[in-house]
Amino acid sequence: MSFEFDTNRRQALMVAGAGAVFPMVGVAAAKPPVLPQRASWPLRDIPFDDGWKFHRGGGDGFEQAGLDDSTWRVVDLPHDWGVEDVPGGTEPAQIGPFDKTAVGKGATGFTVGGEGWYRKRFSVAGYAPDARIELTFDGIYLESDVFLNGHPVSSNVNGYIPFAIDLTPYLDRKGDNVVAVRVRNEGRNTRWYAGSGIYRQVTLDVLPSQCRIARWGVAAWTRRFADGRAEVDLTTSLEGDAAGYEIVTRLIDAEGRTAAQGRVAAGSEVRQTLTVQGPRLWSPDHPNLYRLETELRRGDKVVDRLEQPFGVRIVTFDPARGMAINGEVIKLRGGCVHHDNGLLGACAFRDADERRIRLLKQRGFNAIRSSHNPASRSLRETCDRLGMLMIEEAFDAWHEHKEPQDFSVHFREHWEEVIRGMVLPARNSASVIMWSIGNEIPFRASDEGVEWEWKLANAVKTLDPTRPVTAGLNGVLGQEMIAGADTARPGFAGKVDNASTMFLDVPGYNYRLDDIEREHSSHPERVVYGSETFAREVFDYAALMDRAPYFLGEFLWTAMDYIGEAGIGATAFLKNGSLPYYFAAWPWVNAWCGDLDLIGCQKASSLARDVAWGLAPVTMTVLRPAPDGTFPWTANWGWPDELASWNWDDHKSKPLKVRVYTAGDKVQVILNGQTVGEKALAAGDKMTAELPVPYAAGTLEAVAWKNGKVIGRTHLETVGEAVSLRVSAEPLSQRRGRDALAYLKIEVVDAKGRVLPDDMRPVTLALEGSGELAAFGSANPQAVGSLKASHTKTFRGKALAILRGRGKGALRITAHSPGLRGANARVAFE
Amino acid sequence: MTNLDAPLYPPAKAYDPPRRLPRILSSRETPIAILQSIPAAWAIVNKQIPGMDRRIGNEMIKPHLGNFSLESLLVFGVVQREPLARIDAELARLGEVM
Repeated sequence: MSFEFDTNRRQALMVAGAGAVFPMVGVAAAKPPVLPQRASWPLRDIPFDDGWKFHRGGGDGFEQAGLDDSTWRVVDLPHDWGVEDVPGGTEPAQIGPFDKTAVGKGATGFTVGGEGWYRKRFSVAGYAPDARIELTFDGIYLESDVFLNGHPVSSNVNGYIPFAIDLTPYLDRKGDNVVAVRVRNEGRNTRWYAGSGIYRQVTLDVLPSQCRIARWGVAAWTRRFADGRAEVDLTTSLEGDAAGYEIVTRLIDAEGRTAAQGRVAAGSEVRQTLTVQGPRLWSPDHPNLYRLETELRRGDKVVDRLEQPFGVRIVTFDPARGMAINGEVIKLRGGCVHHDNGLLGACAFRDADERRIRLLKQRGFNAIRSSHNPASRSLRETCDRLGMLMIEEAFDAWHEHKEPQDFSVHFREHWEEVIRGMVLPARNSASVIMWSIGNEIPFRASDEGVEWEWKLANAVKTLDPTRPVTAGLNGVLGQEMIAGADTARPGFAGKVDNASTMFLDVPGYNYRLDDIEREHSSHPERVVYGSETFAREVFDYAALMDRAPYFLGEFLWTAMDYIGEAGIGATAFLKNGSLPYYFAAWPWVNAWCGDLDLIGCQKASSLARDVAWGLAPVTMTVLRPAPDGTFPWTANWGWPDELASWNWDDHKSKPLKVRVYTAGDKVQVILNGQTVGEKALAAGDKMTAELPVPYAAGTLEAVAWKNGKVIGRTHLETVGEAVSLRVSAEPLSQRRGRDALAYLKIEVVDAKGRVLPDDMRPVTLALEGSGELAAFGSANPQAVGSLKASHTKTFRGKALAILRGRGKGALRITAHSPGLRGANARVAFE
Repeated sequence: MTNLDAPLYPPAKAYDPPRRLPRILSSRETPIAILQSIPAAWAIVNKQIPGMDRRIGNEMIKPHLGNFSLESLLVFGVVQREPLARIDAELARLGEVM
């Protein structure tokens, strides 16, 4: 059987759909395709996520093909056992997935790692007998060993990079095959919640044996705009004997029209230039994408084919203008994000990534920093599609550790794998603007650290010279140094630089607000940005963005709450006279430093940011009053305990502190129709007015003025007693099958349908129909229960249920809480 | 669409260790690990901030001693600003060091 298809055959296969064409690929092939398959050649990227068996714990012989795994649990990837209940756990030391004795302590949010095994049976009998079969894991946390039919075929020690395995040598072409994966997440190996298991997508590729497009072997970048045309340079790498083959490369626009095409004789590495007339450019506001098609042909037969999204854009950096995309200056309004998807743990569901990016865009973010690891393919492709700029990051440690078992243990032996795993899959993503080689790297300014800085930066540039290299630098920049001509960046030979910056094109500064302008006077050539920033400095950074062109913008730590680094944004009330220090210990499990909370709702810092970034003319919060004998305390990464609430019946004895954020020059506060305060704002007030207001139930309104004119109003209302629950479903994506998630908000409301702003009470769900509960919980930064059970407690009047589809069918969800009227909603999965 | 060439960031040819320039030690710019490595400097720090080794002994701060200066610790409340000027005056008397 020849492993070649002619064009007509290929088109026929597409029409037939993957499910009909590949009936033999185990469970995955029996499922309908998740997305319309027109955009992907069916011999690559075959979903391989469904129908795995999972066992939590270790054992002998688990890799053997003949093992009876009938008692193992069936799971569909992505899967993260770190958010599943601790087996046999009992309160109060174990609460849901959280264990007070977890080795990771607060860093991992008291979640538990350990060992787990996955197995999946599949057949390839329907494919050409000489086809090369590869399996690609987009990420497994942490250390993994992969076996095929009992034979070890791969090991990986980094939890965030994709890796592909050639299964061919041990493949049974006619019978069943068993792939087994051992995953170990042991010791103190991370400073944040990383998850455990095969938490990203797995795909199967069926490739021609003689000659094929190399894995991540197409590099494309926009080289020039000239006279209304864009020139796109491409390099295509092939594996195998390329004699007699051709490469055809096309850019297809959103309407399916061929915008550019090139054909060239194949070789091990082939360069092409495509010219696009009148291109639709990619930018955060207009994320126009083309489909980049690469075909390997012999005669008129298509042998291999690769498709990927591609955005035509040019990003430039210079100290006079800052960053510009397609010539337009743009400031980075960025947020750092860890990789978890809140209640879902580390699972990289495309719907979850898409929701997260949409929520951030709604709040004005135009950039994320994938801190501190390479992002999932699904997150990166979401950023491409929705127009979110992105910094990809490789490491949190190099040669010196932060945690005893972190990646520094493997760094010297495996650093190149990580650089390749970060750069090659992401180098065609329009959203990726910089490569970060590390975050707050210990001892980076030592002789060894400087050499690593050089090695890493240049390894990145060897793979992709089209983007600048950056790093997140905390503390000081290190000793002044001078590099020679062969070593320095172009144009920097013989010039004085600092140890930490000399091989970086765009230094990122973590929490160095006060240093930025001071250093500019001695290093006017530098283009810098805030790679991590405190929320409390939002107005300072906004002002700096306005006045300093060389300052690109900021990346807030963090844009959204995450599990782990428990309580680094905590607030507390401390006894008067005590030291102003609070350690957020168990049962704190999430960081509580996000602008958005764990379920995606705005916190007070986000309301302030809305004003700083021009999304709202005025917002208002109320500082939670400190109990008698105490004073309020806020952690460095936190924000004072403010609520958008006017429900303070227990606090009538003293005036409340009302905070109004506005870009105006005067605010007026009106309580139940009576003006109770006015305040003029000067530049030094940082868009913040605090007014004392005695509490009385009713409506508190803030009016913002500028130059004598009202520029905005906002108000808070006293909400009545809880009467009922409300369940509302967010719009579904177009995804189908097991890829489809539905998000349902459960709210505690009064008789007028207003959410109780600070309410905590039990809620139970009942599900009926096709689908399952993937996660259920609240934004509470402290452990209160399972994230998988059908019951939870609301926090600030809200909870979130995440449902996962099981194919076409409806699911009815009913929410109950004692004493309240229940509510329900219906979700129709495709 | 204006005419525009995309920038490139080509790799360098070879690594030759950069030459370090002599410096005056300071609370603002000098990493704590460097101060620790110079006995005379660390004695000055300990004299002005008693118990300094204990203050920076926790697992969170230790990995960052090569990056943090004394001034970097202000935000964490580990040291206060008041003794830093005295430290700087005494460090300056040590002259330039490599």
